Amino acid sequence: MKLNITLPKFLRIGLLPTILIALMGIAFVVAMMRYAFGIGVISDLSYSYPWGFWISFDLFTGVVISSGGFLMAGTVYILRIKEFEPLLRPSVLTAFLGYIMVAIALLVDLGQPLRIWYMMIHWNGTSVLLEIGICVMLYLTVLAIEFAPVALEGFKLQKWAHLIHKFIMPFVILGVVLSTLHQSSLGSLLLIQPAKLHPLWWTPILPIMFFTSAISVGMAMIIFESSLSSRYFQRGLETHLLTKVAKGIPVALTIYGLLKFGELAVAGELGYLFTSGTMSVLFWAEILIGVVTPIIWFSIKKNRESANGLLTGAIIVLVGMILNRFNVSWLAVKHPDPLFYMPTFMSNVKYFPTLPEVAVSIGIFSAGIMAFGLAAKYLPVFEDEHPAAAHAGD
Amino acid sequence: MTEIKHHAYLFDATRCIDCRACMVACSVENNIDMDKTRIWVAGLGVTGTFPDLQRGTMVYHCMHCEHPDCMSACPVGAYTKAEDGPVTYNPDLCIGCRYCMNACPFGVPHFDYDKGIIEGAFIDKCTFCPQRIYNGQEPACVQTCPTDALEYGDREELIAKAHARIAAHPERYIDHVYGEFENGGTSYLILSHVPFAELGLPNLPETPVNEVSEQVMEMTIPFALTWGAILTGVSAGVAMYDKKKKEKAAADEKVEASK
Repeated sequence: MKLNITLPKFLRIGLLPTILIALMGIAFVVAMMRYAFGIGVISDLSYSYPWGFWISFDLFTGVVISSGGFLMAGTVYILRIKEFEPLLRPSVLTAFLGYIMVAIALLVDLGQPLRIWYMMIHWNGTSVLLEIGICVMLYLTVLAIEFAPVALEGFKLQKWAHLIHKFIMPFVILGVVLSTLHQSSLGSLLLIQPAKLHPLWWTPILPIMFFTSAISVGMAMIIFESSLSSRYFQRGLETHLLTKVAKGIPVALTIYGLLKFGELAVAGELGYLFTSGTMSVLFWAEILIGVVTPIIWFSIKKNRESANGLLTGAIIVLVGMILNRFNVSWLAVKHPDPLFYMPTFMSNVKYFPTLPEVAVSIGIFSAGIMAFGLAAKYLPVFEDEHPAAAHAGD
Repeated sequence: MTEIKHHAYLFDATRCIDCRACMVACSVENNIDMDKTRIWVAGLGVTGTFPDLQRGTMVYHCMHCEHPDCMSACPVGAYTKAEDGPVTYNPDLCIGCRYCMNACPFGVPHFDYDKGIIEGAFIDKCTFCPQRIYNGQEPACVQTCPTDALEYGDREELIAKAHARIAAHPERYIDHVYGEFENGGTSYLILSHVPFAELGLPNLPETPVNEVSEQVMEMTIPFALTWGAILTGVSAGVAMYDKKKKEKAAADEKVEASK
């Protein structure tokens, strides 16, 4: 007998969404296990390594790839360079989803997730983490307001969208201030570890380094998300705008590189560049991939003007800078001496993320991609698809 | 016992015989599982070549720093430094972020990785036995130590005592009291016959590790206000410029039209 199953229309989904939903499901099960039995059950985190893959990937990477949002909001609303408007909505959406993913991941990583709101009432002014917590909460609100007009237009509530649009300026300024604080304070988070973080990375200007690198990552991310979504949804690509964005990347990266080597020279730590074994290799990998190669790549006109050249360059920047975030928050952090943790059964002086740990991050990331796809499909995020709706809010 | 103004410990590595009675005493006194003990004993084993053999043991728990990094790092202020020495942790405020574990250069705070959200996963560390020291008794680990390797007293007095001991037996000790100045001073002082790095102690400057981070935090709010003001100014300026440009364009158009 031939089995003939016809799925109802709403269940007929493509291959990519199916995979994404499966990954989310796995992450959900793993997260439930963690809530029931503790973080140790699913992760390799230990007394020596209280922070691991979740912090490096979900927090540090998640935040830095969301920096396109404030760059575009600042360019379009504050500097009033209106030609970039087509890139505004996708960048704000990426930032909004990025920050939601950060918040969800922190709920898995925190020992007491139900107490996350304590950060609103119990303040310790010397804590960088408090600044980060408050920035995440406030900036999520700001991003929700910045994105609200798009959602409202999608639901045919043009009047409300227009009303929010009218009063958006203070929120845009607040958003840029919060982003500046937040991007740089992720660097400040490591200032308290001069004894643990390798001197090639630890510097008092870590917050400035983080901010300058976030700017180049933001630009790369704008190129990346526009290119990918244009491929997936088969819509036009704003190549002429992305070319202008790509011009900014070598400038930002040059400033970053000069700061980085300048600081090492001033601190008299240039010697570590060649004498620190694995650390030197990691440092040069991050500099060559994330700084030198993209500067050369985007200085070539041909690469800036072709869709493939733009996407390749953006990916190089992202890989290099994400490696930087992993180095700073995990790979270059010296774990305390094994002897110091004498009862070896209590501690684990090596750390390598476990499969369930990575599965949580991948699941959350899949949810982000899925949400981006749904929003791009059903809301007026990209202008050329919904020309009428996109201009209604202006 | 004389009145103690600033509670402190003194540990003498030359006297420790690695019996680990302090670990047991701490577990019993504070009702802690042995595998989550707040006090750890690290045996170096025998080092050197015959006949110059040495053995070393390091006993440590919370250093009760004078400028605690855990307290500086904790976002919700779950740590407090008492004026008379002890650094204590309040589980009722803790959100489980584990930033204190990152911040502590000694790796002291530890976390319940084996507990879910129903039981509640908390940080734990030495409390300086407040139930004992404020009732005129020594902390449990000190009282049980059979060789007086661990001692308890006033910080100033213990520092003087440590220096006196080094002076009396310069051949036996390294001429340094670890914790007198390290990390801005700690209330757990250490005397040793082997280099402190061999005992697993980090080489720390006299400024506490939280110094730079606290300085940056102080600048945050002024910076945010200035940056916000600059952005408001810029956006107002650009808006005015745009408006003028539009008006001018409109005026030009009029002129053009009237021609």
